[in-house]
Amino acid sequence: MSTILTVILGVLIIIIVAMSQRLFNGPTSYDRMNALGVIGADVILALVIFDAADEGAYMYLDISIAYALLGFICSVILAKYLGGGKTI
Amino acid sequence: MNVLFSLNLQEVIACLFLLAGLVFLIGSAIGMLRLPDFYCRVHASGNSETLGCMLCFIGLMIYEGATFNSLKIGMISLLIFAANPIGSHILGKSAYKNDHPVWTLQAHDAAKVLGMPPTDHSADEPVGNSDQVETEEA
Repeated sequence: MSTILTVILGVLIIIIVAMSQRLFNGPTSYDRMNALGVIGADVILALVIFDAADEGAYMYLDISIAYALLGFICSVILAKYLGGGKTI
Repeated sequence: MNVLFSLNLQEVIACLFLLAGLVFLIGSAIGMLRLPDFYCRVHASGNSETLGCMLCFIGLMIYEGATFNSLKIGMISLLIFAANPIGSHILGKSAYKNDHPVWTLQAHDAAKVLGMPPTDHSADEPVGNSDQVETEEA
């Protein structure tokens, strides 16, 4: 099981690197925000999988809960800022 | 293949859920890289990313069993289940309210994109964000 979890972690890291291509040279700033959201979700999933794969790991789940909350608030606030502060 | 034969039933079911989720995550990443427009890309990330994350979290909950950690994973999956579609929706709505141009086959030359023989679109009505087209011509 640990082998399969490691393979999934590797694929997640490849996905994150591929998303950083969209993050760095996305045509518009909305694309960059979208790539940031995808990277956030993938990082949360990678943290949870790392917690399941490593027996001695602890506090990774708490960190990923905080990461999910902060990522969502960051996404909403930045979307409103990009929209010029109007009511969305 | 020795890895797969040494698993019990719980781990096999967890593996199936994890691999199904991974398929959706890879599909979402390919869509993010290949689709032509911001709206198409936000569609790819909003739907498939959420489904893939949900399947992976369900697999991890099955793998952990009925423990306190499993409850925490359920909490995180509920957070992602709410936050990911709401974030995509807010981004798309913010872009649409600020007149972000909509990708259409006519405006971007369907023959070049799809490899079809060139057709004459001059008699057709303009499709999509017609305000933008008029301002560009003026």
